[in-house]
Amino acid sequence: MTQPVLSVRDLSVTFRTREGPAKVVDRISYDLGPGETLAIVGESGSGKSVSSLALMQLLPTPPAVVEGEAIFEGRNLLTLDEPEMQKIRGNRIAMIFQDPMTSLNPVRTIGHQLMEPIELHLGLTGRAARERAIELLHLVGIPSAEERIDDYPHQFSGGMRQRVVIAMGISCEPDILIADEATTALDVTTQAKIIDEIKGLQERLGMSLIWITHDLGVVAGVADRVVVLYAGHIMEEADVDDLFRVRRNPYTRGLLASLPVPGRTSRRLEAIPGLPPDPLRPPRGCPFSPRCPYVADVCVREEPALREPVPGHRSKCHFDPEDLHA
Amino acid sequence: MTEPAAETTVGVVAHRSRLRTTAETVLRNRLAVFGLVILVLLVLVALAAPLIAPYTINQVDVANRLQGPSSQHWFGTDELGRDVFSRVIIASRVSLQVGFVSVGIALGLGVPVGLIAGYYGGRIDSILMRLMDILFSIPAIVLAIAILAALGPDIVNAMIAIGVVYTPIFARITRGSVLTLRDAVFVQAARSIGASDLRIIGNHVFPNVIAPIIVQTSLSLAFAILAEAALSFLGLGVQPPNPAWGRMLSEGRAFFQRAPWMAIFPGLAIFATVFAFNALGDGLRDALDPQQRSIIESRGRS
Repeated sequence: MTQPVLSVRDLSVTFRTREGPAKVVDRISYDLGPGETLAIVGESGSGKSVSSLALMQLLPTPPAVVEGEAIFEGRNLLTLDEPEMQKIRGNRIAMIFQDPMTSLNPVRTIGHQLMEPIELHLGLTGRAARERAIELLHLVGIPSAEERIDDYPHQFSGGMRQRVVIAMGISCEPDILIADEATTALDVTTQAKIIDEIKGLQERLGMSLIWITHDLGVVAGVADRVVVLYAGHIMEEADVDDLFRVRRNPYTRGLLASLPVPGRTSRRLEAIPGLPPDPLRPPRGCPFSPRCPYVADVCVREEPALREPVPGHRSKCHFDPEDLHA
Repeated sequence: MTEPAAETTVGVVAHRSRLRTTAETVLRNRLAVFGLVILVLLVLVALAAPLIAPYTINQVDVANRLQGPSSQHWFGTDELGRDVFSRVIIASRVSLQVGFVSVGIALGLGVPVGLIAGYYGGRIDSILMRLMDILFSIPAIVLAIAILAALGPDIVNAMIAIGVVYTPIFARITRGSVLTLRDAVFVQAARSIGASDLRIIGNHVFPNVIAPIIVQTSLSLAFAILAEAALSFLGLGVQPPNPAWGRMLSEGRAFFQRAPWMAIFPGLAIFATVFAFNALGDGLRDALDPQQRSIIESRGRS
């Protein structure tokens, strides 16, 4: 791979709670290449959102404690001071949040909000900023942008609002766009359109994308590489085709087995039994061991390493997939 | 702002600014309109008072002392033969001035305190709000009297005193609203585009807390004018020979049996003003912030 845009190494996030420390992200490492789309998948509470908020220094510290490093342009994002970080946020690394209904300020026009990053980072003001904002609205496919720029968020539908949020995200042509469940709150057809929109913009602007989602269907459609998170650990990392072809990790298998397959109506969906571990009381050994159908003594005894049996395909398991055909 | 009739792809959405919607709701409320009319009249009278007043405020005419209302003296005369009508309308200037300036002080101090306390939370919040609690725990008039005792009885000091007394109300209302916004997604989104705290507070938090502040402003104006009347009644506000409603009330007390008009008319003026601000405040509250009703009412203080 060419020089990565972002290198995350041993990123950990611990929340200090009344009942003790809760480690919700546990030493995760990954690289993001230029123009690459990396999907981070996992269940609710797997640490996928928290890990990306940590990259942007958007977690309240305390109670959060962030360790490790995230190298972007030779600098560690996790140790930059606030003014430096403000120059990066929205400018070099932008973020799109899940719910378009709440990620816009209800009492300000979308024009105002769209012009904010433009004014902050591009130094444009007044007419120029407004024109850039209109241009962006066109770019994300909002019809009659000249008029709609003075509307308030409540005058837009959910899909249209998410387009506005995307326009804000790409306004300064960032190197990295983090889409945190960016399409989850939308209906399926709108979701498809928004995904196309983002992918198109990605090609146009040559940005890298971190796509956080729990929806494996979306992952198959958008991602180049996939990181599967479970209880704050990377369980598996692979190119997207590899992952869907050979699932090396029992957790990923469970995750995929719980998806409906079109045309196979007779099959019951297989839920993974049990619940994700309580981050205050993580299990000994492998984090997935209490729920794993292939669990062996070694799994409970010691934590497996994230091994790389095939180049570019990492799996956190004591066993190889061939051994797991139980 | 221009008002394009927005035909959108989503359907026809009436393009109405929030200001206009609010104004329409208020104007549908008869009591609020009545209050607004009284206030407009009052402000006009106060501005034009020197032109309207048939006599000067200290035009002594002992021969005509303690006369009842007549065509020469609409509100009668006082114990020195001064025209009560002239004095009442001249005094409206000082009452409104004290009201606006002192509430301005309370807004200027209380809103920033509330914004900072609510936004940053933690220790800053605890310190600021405990200070506000201390101010809040002292009865308003007693605190104002104490401040005036320290600074000396004077109209400017009265404004400062009343302003300080009403600061905690604004701080609390602002903080309460900010708390619900601090973790709002759009605040985090603003942070994610690189906005500084100051910018987030100014552009995103403050515009969302204006509604309850406006409502409280109107209601506080009523309280402030009452407070000024009370202080002047006690001789701590406006100093003689300048007229103030509260002072006229207290002077009229001695003559209440023989010349009730001396106290009745300034009393009516206070009543009308306070009533008008309250009526308008209620109307604004219904328009801007229906769910705030119970909260503000439970915070009311004497």
